[in-house]
Amino acid sequence: MQLRDYILRRLMVLPVLIIGVSIVVFTLTRVGGSPIGIYLSHEMTPDEVAEIEARFNLDKPVWVQYLYWIRGIAMGDFGWSGVAAAPVADVFPLKLAATMELALASGLVALLLGIALGTYAGARRNRLPDHVTRIVAVSGASLPQFWFGILLLIIFWAQIGIAPIGRSDATIFASIAHPTGLYTVDAILAGSPAAFWDAIWHLVLPSVTLGYGATAIIARMMRSALVEELQQDYVDAARAKGLAERIVLKRHARRNALVPTVTVIGLTFGFLLQGTITVEIIFRWPGLGRWMADSVLRGDQATLMTYVLFTSVLFLVVNLIVDLVYANLDRRVTLGK
Amino acid sequence: MLDAKHGGATVASVRDLKVHFQSKRGVVHAVDGVSFDIRDGETLGLVGETGCGKSVTGRSFLRLLPVPPGILAGGSVMFNAHAVCTSCEGTGCETCEGTGRKASQDRSVNLLGIPSEDMRRIRGDRIAMIFQDPGKALNPTLPVGAQIAEVFLQHRTDELIALAGLPADTVGAVRRFASQSPRFGDGWLLSLPGVRAQRRRVEEALATMVAGALAETQVPNPAKLMARYPHELSGGMRQRVMIAQALACNPDLLIADEPTTALDVTVEARILELIRNLQQRRKTSVLYISHDLSLVRRISDRVAVMYAGRIVEIGTTAEVFANPRHPYTRGLMAAVPGADTPRGKLAAIRGTVPELVDPAAACRFCGRCPYETGACRNNDPFLEAITPSHLVACFIDHPAPSGERPSYDRATA
Repeated sequence: MQLRDYILRRLMVLPVLIIGVSIVVFTLTRVGGSPIGIYLSHEMTPDEVAEIEARFNLDKPVWVQYLYWIRGIAMGDFGWSGVAAAPVADVFPLKLAATMELALASGLVALLLGIALGTYAGARRNRLPDHVTRIVAVSGASLPQFWFGILLLIIFWAQIGIAPIGRSDATIFASIAHPTGLYTVDAILAGSPAAFWDAIWHLVLPSVTLGYGATAIIARMMRSALVEELQQDYVDAARAKGLAERIVLKRHARRNALVPTVTVIGLTFGFLLQGTITVEIIFRWPGLGRWMADSVLRGDQATLMTYVLFTSVLFLVVNLIVDLVYANLDRRVTLGK
Repeated sequence: MLDAKHGGATVASVRDLKVHFQSKRGVVHAVDGVSFDIRDGETLGLVGETGCGKSVTGRSFLRLLPVPPGILAGGSVMFNAHAVCTSCEGTGCETCEGTGRKASQDRSVNLLGIPSEDMRRIRGDRIAMIFQDPGKALNPTLPVGAQIAEVFLQHRTDELIALAGLPADTVGAVRRFASQSPRFGDGWLLSLPGVRAQRRRVEEALATMVAGALAETQVPNPAKLMARYPHELSGGMRQRVMIAQALACNPDLLIADEPTTALDVTVEARILELIRNLQQRRKTSVLYISHDLSLVRRISDRVAVMYAGRIVEIGTTAEVFANPRHPYTRGLMAAVPGADTPRGKLAAIRGTVPELVDPAAACRFCGRCPYETGACRNNDPFLEAITPSHLVACFIDHPAPSGERPSYDRATA
């Protein structure tokens, strides 16, 4: 059970990490001033302001406020979101599901397409497919998402008018239940093809915008790793055994080329998460990213702190997965010490 | 033809092989008109310094050149695969040294001309190769057993199916599994209840064959070794795995490209011993590529000396070492230190290997040769016999077209 021990040991860092990140997050957000602004309105009297200050413990010393915050988190209370006008803990799962659906759709496509494109180009180095892939990849990595997204929106929504914006059609949304919050999954669970196509249709433009850059990064990494692996002796040795070029490529070269690529894929996850902010704003996608953007603009500190805390935990888990895949691909990597 | 006066079948004959490389400065003539035969069951040592084209020559047998920039510019490599011995019908006689098989002219193919599918069927089955550095020539991400297994999957599918106790007309996913040509969805098909049992039997048969191949190389506990990854093995063990892999299908010709260069001397001795034992038992022909003269002298029946993309001297090991005729061969031998060589007094051939970009029609050794004359700079010597089994490309033994003739008695530089 070496693997289980390793995973447990890595996860034991989690509480320490959360406390560390929470201190940094709390300090940094408080540098920006008191969070009280989001709870106030112009008509309030000084007495009412004082009452709100007392309700949110803002009249106490800062470190006591921090402890109140931590105690709240421990009890599942992440504070009040002024932007969503609801407790953070209530809204977060819904928004998270929306963002996850978008990130998973584009991430999955980026992963498969990136590896496939990179392999295709790497195996045909300096020939036409390689050049075409390079152009696609370089533009993908360098087009700003806000520009590319708006371009797609102008063409497919404003001009041609075939693409929708938002996350779903209102009547279709009301027609089925949403137990998971992932609309595609919900539609499958409800057995509704109409709802499924509606969910997919709404997903296309945002996930293309979000996934293009990630695809480009993965494809470029895969291509250069594969070109390097194809020059190794073991590739010729595999050919000398009489293996078909297809097997040499897939079973030998690609497997080795995936090792460095997996690291990049892990990093791409951060890139995707960052991209959701832009993409959700452009396509009016009701996810975490847009909520965060609004929260930054309106000083909704409870929401921001939750988001950063959540993101750091997510990164730890993603890195753990990357390390596990890495060790599984390349047996020279040993887990643990 | 060359060596025509010597009896015995040839397993391969290289004729005027030319391999060029396109570089930024011009066309590099890495191998420039090489001809030699490999006789059935012999070990031919191919010696020369780094960059003389010996590895490229060896790889031409398997057509393993980077294309581009490597260009097969001309010549042929005729390969005569073994067939059932004609004099004894496979029972084993004197002409086939008891193996029941010998090189057959009837099935002669030009390895440089056949379609790549045919080439692929020869690779690893009839002609195999051992690489210089077993640490690099084994895939780091696969267990060594799985790597040897690929040879059987590629070339021994029928035997595998028979050994697994499945009918010979087995088709579909199981056959594709036993020939390593999976199709999309085969993973799912092979996990079906009935099919899974068949797959398991093929896997077991495969493991038996791989363990057998490994056992040939005298490794302790082959079954356990199969599950190990290359990085878990020592250099000697890795080379044994490479040898097991190369000899798995009992090839007619083995290309050994400096197989012991990456190993230390004690391991080297054991690996050489192993190759020789296996070769003598199976009558496999070996092209042994090396830069180590004393090693080649120990293991080869005949020696070919390569210099700058040409063979400059070829003959039986005894002849070449007793009576080296080419100044380059002499220089090489003089450079081997003996027990009585004083400290700090290593002999060397002056100069360096010439660049092989668009070479002129002159002896390649010009500029480094202590005996060169004007004729050497204006004419290109070719291999000519001085005894029936000993050929030299030098005007010392056969005069240049102008009649001029350098001599070992007249050093010119």
